[in-house]
Amino acid sequence: MSVSELKERHAVATETVNNLRDRLKQRRLQLLDTDVAKYSVAQGRSPVKFGATDLVCCRTLQGHTGKVYSLDWTPERNRIVSASQDGRLIVWNALTSQKTHAIKLPCAWVMTCAFSPNGQTVACGGLDSVCSIFSLSSTADKDGTVPVSRMLSGHRGYVSCCQYVPNEDAHLITSSGDQTCVLWDVTTGLKTSVFGGEFQSGHTADVLSVSISGSNPNWFISGSCDTTARLWDTRAASRAVRTFHGHEGDVNTVKFFPDGQRFGTGSDDGTCRLYDIRTGHQLQVYQPQGDGENVPVTSIAFSASGRLLFAGYANNNACYVWDTLLGEIVLDLGELQDSHKNRISCLGMSADGSALCTGSWDSNLKIWAFGGHRRVI
Amino acid sequence: MASTSGSVGAEVTGETCSSLAKSSLPPPRPKSPPEYPDLYGKRREAARVQMLEREIGYLEAKIKFIEGVQPASRCCKEVSDFVVANSDPLIPAQRKSRRHCRFWKWLCSCVPCLSLASFCCCCQSECSCHLRKPKCCNCTGCNCAGSKCCDGSCCSNICCCPKPSCPSCSCFRGCCCWCPDLSCCIPTCFRSCSRPSCLNKKSSCCSCNCKIRWSSCFKCPKVRLCCCFCNCKNLCSNPYCLAF
Repeated sequence: MSVSELKERHAVATETVNNLRDRLKQRRLQLLDTDVAKYSVAQGRSPVKFGATDLVCCRTLQGHTGKVYSLDWTPERNRIVSASQDGRLIVWNALTSQKTHAIKLPCAWVMTCAFSPNGQTVACGGLDSVCSIFSLSSTADKDGTVPVSRMLSGHRGYVSCCQYVPNEDAHLITSSGDQTCVLWDVTTGLKTSVFGGEFQSGHTADVLSVSISGSNPNWFISGSCDTTARLWDTRAASRAVRTFHGHEGDVNTVKFFPDGQRFGTGSDDGTCRLYDIRTGHQLQVYQPQGDGENVPVTSIAFSASGRLLFAGYANNNACYVWDTLLGEIVLDLGELQDSHKNRISCLGMSADGSALCTGSWDSNLKIWAFGGHRRVI
Repeated sequence: MASTSGSVGAEVTGETCSSLAKSSLPPPRPKSPPEYPDLYGKRREAARVQMLEREIGYLEAKIKFIEGVQPASRCCKEVSDFVVANSDPLIPAQRKSRRHCRFWKWLCSCVPCLSLASFCCCCQSECSCHLRKPKCCNCTGCNCAGSKCCDGSCCSNICCCPKPSCPSCSCFRGCCCWCPDLSCCIPTCFRSCSRPSCLNKKSSCCSCNCKIRWSSCFKCPKVRLCCCFCNCKNLCSNPYCLAF
């Protein structure tokens, strides 16, 4: 076949692709007969109301000397690991505020950290393009340097996010600026699967965040600078199961909804969105009212029931608490007493849903819990 | 008159003849490359077509899939049902109060802090009955800004009482929890921060040891980060321009 014939086929194929995409888009719009907020209003759902002291800051974890970029809770025992621009990981006892470990990292430019399911190791990654694993039982020297027990090398760009597969201490998923996600075997340090990349269909820009389903650990969601979120099945890495469109800016953060069938996103376009993984529907858009410029969303977390969506924004210290059913902001943690003094960069809900931890550019972490009174029968 | 060029030419000298011959020749030009087939371009184009045709297959599969997909309203119902069916520790619960709880509320409102052998109410702001019998909070003597003070055994917020012996650090419960430099602060310490020379040391950008054998150590995440890019030989030009 000659080049000119190929070019003609290319033009025809491009037109076919565009037509099919339009058809798909139109069909999706037809199926979007309502959203969560309209449905809930029609059902007469009562709004969530917070009193002045219902949600309070009950701990301030001080110790970092630079911006906090990432945090993660243990599945149990109420410990938190945090990563900061000061080049350290700190492990905290959330109940007592004590620091149990302060690990000086070989590469100070860390962007993400995660606890293993058994709470005995922590992982971190950043601009060095490597995910480093540290054992918390190793002895640190006087500088706080702990030997790296495993280095997961192979990404060709920075490691933006890492998460252990639930209940599997030996497996971890990373997202990277090289447009891929990777499933690692921590015991061997080797890649098990690569999601996306040059020879596979995947994200077309930096991948910034991953979230693994708690109910089905074979599934995970990734969010990317290509404005999409994608659902992957770890058993079939060749192509994403589904791609979720809608955002108009980088998708900075993704998090599964507690039921494992939906997930939330936060984006540079200033919105958070709720998607259904089985149907691909965009169920709700959470967009602050106002005429101002859209403020990027840096991080999100759902409460235990999914009724509350916590979202950190890139301006000042705002952390809006959304009523996910009615699509309204019910609280701003930034306006409460003892709030952060700078941008909230990361959020994490404890395993039992009783506490939210926020990390900020003011170098502190704060723990928020219900401080009000419950009248019980 | 001789008309033949030859006779005319015969009268011209050899030198003139040579220069005339030179001026009639075109200037030298390099030869054009031979017309080889553009295999690289053809293969690249074929690869593009193949990718598009693969994409067409995927899109057709998606359209087929979406024909059987339920409308969004059913998904919204599932979300709503799940949220309502699950309790949430962070949400204020509004339920009817029974008579005996109203009694305790009255009793506690009369007495600032009530402590009985069997029952106890935490009466910092208003009293409430608890399913379990919590211990009373002793909130005197604490100096905790912004949080409720308690001796730690309380039913509600557990707070922090800074230890006076940590003058330059923020300490909670006797442990040194914050110092200008972490090396001043032993994580499980019971002593005050004792190294005044522990200043916040700012590390230079790209102080990497180049254990990675790449030409570049770092690549800036996203476009907002302007300059943390180094080849492990030169320092970054402006380590503080990071929006990171």
